[in-house]
Amino acid sequence: MTNQALAANVRARRLRAAATVLQYALAIAIVLIVVFPLYWMIISSLKTSEELLQAVPSLWPAQFRWRNYADALAMAPFGRYFFNTVVMTVGIMGLQLVIGSFAAYGFAKGQFPGRDALFIVVLGALMIPIQVTFVPIYGMVAKLHWINTFAGLIVPHAVSAYMIFLLRQTFKSVDDSFLEAARLEGMGRVGVIFRILVPMCKPTMMTVGIISFIDGWNAYFWPKMVTTTSFRRTIAQGVYELKRSYAGLETMNQNQIMAGAVMAVVPIVVLFVVLQKYILSGFSKAASK
Amino acid sequence: MRERDTTVEGTGRRASPRVRRERFKDFLCVAPALAFFAVFVYYPLVDLFRIGFTNWNLIRDEYKYVGLKNYKWLFKGSGLDTWLASLKVTFSYTFWEIVITLVGGILLAALFNREGRVFAAMRSIVFMPKYIAISTSAIVFMWILNDQYGFLNYVLGAFGVGPVAWLNSERTALTSVLILTGWRVVGYGMMIYLSAMKGISRDYYEAAELDGAGALKRFRHITLPLLSPTTLFLFVTTFIASMKVFQSIDVMTAGGPYESTNVMVYWIYDLAFVQFRVDRAAVVASVFFVILLAFTAATMKISNKSVHYDS
Repeated sequence: MTNQALAANVRARRLRAAATVLQYALAIAIVLIVVFPLYWMIISSLKTSEELLQAVPSLWPAQFRWRNYADALAMAPFGRYFFNTVVMTVGIMGLQLVIGSFAAYGFAKGQFPGRDALFIVVLGALMIPIQVTFVPIYGMVAKLHWINTFAGLIVPHAVSAYMIFLLRQTFKSVDDSFLEAARLEGMGRVGVIFRILVPMCKPTMMTVGIISFIDGWNAYFWPKMVTTTSFRRTIAQGVYELKRSYAGLETMNQNQIMAGAVMAVVPIVVLFVVLQKYILSGFSKAASK
Repeated sequence: MRERDTTVEGTGRRASPRVRRERFKDFLCVAPALAFFAVFVYYPLVDLFRIGFTNWNLIRDEYKYVGLKNYKWLFKGSGLDTWLASLKVTFSYTFWEIVITLVGGILLAALFNREGRVFAAMRSIVFMPKYIAISTSAIVFMWILNDQYGFLNYVLGAFGVGPVAWLNSERTALTSVLILTGWRVVGYGMMIYLSAMKGISRDYYEAAELDGAGALKRFRHITLPLLSPTTLFLFVTTFIASMKVFQSIDVMTAGGPYESTNVMVYWIYDLAFVQFRVDRAAVVASVFFVILLAFTAATMKISNKSVHYDS
């Protein structure tokens, strides 16, 4: 190799190394910015009120005040919120998965007149969000005496058009021969759906289930409309309720409010870390359709 | 499975009772979902338009039909100014959320597009905020944005800027909400773009490299055009989602100060449950629905012509 080519080669390699360093540096900077609010939440939740309000904020608590957590729990019924959230979320997820699987089977493999037109009706529901129709739905739910009940929290979210859409795509990709074999062995529709299709599409079922769970866990709009007392409020409302309970004294009690926020965030972060591969695959699926 | 009775379709002959029973059972599978959409989606939509013609409020039980009175209030009466202001805030919020998702998303996708566990872990971290309840993150951001003790004003103060009133000023309130939005959505945009970028064949890049195209040129002339279906997907879904913004507004600003963040869904909620004017809320929601539908349809139509599809 000539000297010139060698020099060019070295320069190119240096340039590439510099680009790599720059890429790492920028990426790490962005990660730090994204993590900071969560870090600040945790740090603030452990400070004393004096340290919280000092002119130069400290990046690490001088003194850990774990009592903020106990104080937050005394101010707002977090146990109640968690219980309500778990019941509501599991209820919504269960109903969405069962009703959704039946519907997806009907639209993917069923034979009946008007099938595709009816599927358009399902997709049309995606264009009618509850944020538009909540006034009449509220009237209906109130007439049923469902205000402040689990039925009121769960039923209006019991079917997801989006989930039916995703499950239908997946069920369609299963070859009919599997279903025919099952039918020949005398299996009915329920068996075909829950013993053939659902197990064969397990990754998608996991994904839509997890997304439904997270959506339910974080649901705010409808639970706010349908609950009027902390008796049936959920965790997504809980931290806001905690904050309001300090009426006027919020600033000096930010440490306790942040403690409440930590308690609300931890379960979902754990869930995200453990199940992220399903979450990630879920919406690359969504994006490609 | 049961025989596919294709001969019956089209010939007009009646299907055998067995085939018809099978079809009916297939229909029964979709019936619960359809019943749900009828009761909890389509009927409420019709009911919404009906309520708009009444004078129903939550205080009285009985009501009567009053014709176009509520529409007149909205288009010609005292509702007009608030409505226009609310439309403006809603669209401006939506515009910025779309810009952050699309532009921020694609820039981060380019930056985080690297193999290896370190980058995989960093991508997950950037993506995670989307899965934290907005209401809870909003409270954390309110603390960071606190004008007196907030960390952001402390940092800005070190550079001689501020203090900024953030949520307490009508000039900065929407920006404050958008800071939270940016934190939440930019990683989502990134992940959607990254998963689409994986699907682009290496051949394009190799061919372009042989032709002497640099990295920027390749990004501009290969990556971007081939990502246009993804951009459309993100545009439409972000549009629909951000027009419905409520949670962050409810927690952070309650529509204020001076209605500077009074987005449409917050206004509808306020009319119905704070002012108890269900009739007016129904009219605003009806008109909002028509706007949403028209914009979505228009976007789909325009984009069908201008989107590149690979193969």
